[in-house]
Amino acid sequence: MLVTGAAAGVGKGVAEAFGAAGAVVGLGVRVPAKAAEVAANVEALGGTPVVLRCDVSDGAESAAAIEALVEAHGRLDALVHNAVSNRSSEPTDFETASLGLWEEHSSVTVRATYRLAVQAHPHLKATGGSILLMTSPAGIEGSAPLPFYSAVKAAQRGFVRALAREWGPDGIRINSVAPLAVSPALENLKATDPERVKRIEGLVPLGWLGDPADDIGPPSVFLCSEGARYVTGQTLVVSGGRFTGL
Amino acid sequence: MGDSADETTTVVVGGDRGIGRSLATALDQRGRRVVVLADGPVDLTDPAAVQAALVDASSPAPVTTVVLAHLDPAALRTTSLLELGEPGWDAAAERSLRAAFVVLQQAHAAVPDGARIVLVLPTVAAGGAAGLVALCTAVEGIRVMAKAVARRWGARAITVNTIEVDLAAFVLGDASGDVDAAGSVPAVSQLGTPALAPGSAVADVMGLIEVLESPAGAALTGGLLVADRGTVMQP
Repeated sequence: MLVTGAAAGVGKGVAEAFGAAGAVVGLGVRVPAKAAEVAANVEALGGTPVVLRCDVSDGAESAAAIEALVEAHGRLDALVHNAVSNRSSEPTDFETASLGLWEEHSSVTVRATYRLAVQAHPHLKATGGSILLMTSPAGIEGSAPLPFYSAVKAAQRGFVRALAREWGPDGIRINSVAPLAVSPALENLKATDPERVKRIEGLVPLGWLGDPADDIGPPSVFLCSEGARYVTGQTLVVSGGRFTGL
Repeated sequence: MGDSADETTTVVVGGDRGIGRSLATALDQRGRRVVVLADGPVDLTDPAAVQAALVDASSPAPVTTVVLAHLDPAALRTTSLLELGEPGWDAAAERSLRAAFVVLQQAHAAVPDGARIVLVLPTVAAGGAAGLVALCTAVEGIRVMAKAVARRWGARAITVNTIEVDLAAFVLGDASGDVDAAGSVPAVSQLGTPALAPGSAVADVMGLIEVLESPAGAALTGGLLVADRGTVMQP
């Protein structure tokens, strides 16, 4: 499988969970040198890491990453699109924000979702594989400080529902996970708005913010597994009970 | 449109086609001052152009209601994702999202406190539809963008709500009962039959807009009102 944005945060945790399941894990990253830690972890857990340069806002690069992985290992069973704009966690002043900033969010989340799906389609059709998109609770409830992030993550949910119907006959499943987890985004939020993070922590019934590998990874692996072969078009909210009414 | 002594203006974005056109006509017939913003005459993805159009619309009467009923026509054509191509994807999905951002942003600058912003969208994204991936992507993104700005603009008592109608009503407006016109509406096979008897989606939406504009509507923001006569019944 290929995990985009695998160098850190949720992407790293999900990649490690796939490694623990013994998978060949394509680690899609913008800067390969930054994937050393996750590659070592995947290997230590029993998986086979393959570091791939993959800036998802560059369609040629994402296509090349998929083809390289398939060429080296013969198949693609799952595509996990987790990468987001580096600015995804920055509070956005919607009223004054530029179209350029919107494009930055959209290119990594909306356009890359389209491109990656199309690029992966023949390989996933061959294996009866699946796509998993990392969306967000913000994409369901709408976040005041993160209006762009909310919109592009919601767009992914519309994509999931429709494509599940379109590609079901090809034997391809597509789902999404809406995680609440410790991530670089949340770490940034801690720096810019620590009170908000404290409020979030206090609102999680299970009492902690999810660990990317231990809390977000296993449900992600499940959704890409044979055990979930009858699950498609769904969003699984993995938030320690924080979001129950979405 | 309209030339009344009404002291406020209603802007209908996307008022040149489909349900937007029907709503603009219905509002006009009720004696309201209505200004239509149509993509083409005004590039809805150009902040300066939309800003200028809204400034024009605000004279002589302030814009107190904005109805956003625009999706790029490319989004309303059935095409498999594999056949769409990247320019097709941009036109069908991303251009509608971009326009929604620009219109909402500029509307915020143009309207007074207490204004009402009402988005009209098709229900199809609630369940998804084959051949309409780009449409469903755009609609869900726009719907949640509206929720996010509803949270932001509450301090100004500006409400932002979404009304969803079935796809035929969105595409055709008042002509949705026209058998010949119905051929231009993408087929959506998975939707059920309405629980309620058929009626005019335009009249239904007009009624809901009036509720949202009423004092009672001041307490509702970030909401989704599904005016499809009980077809989808969202969970």
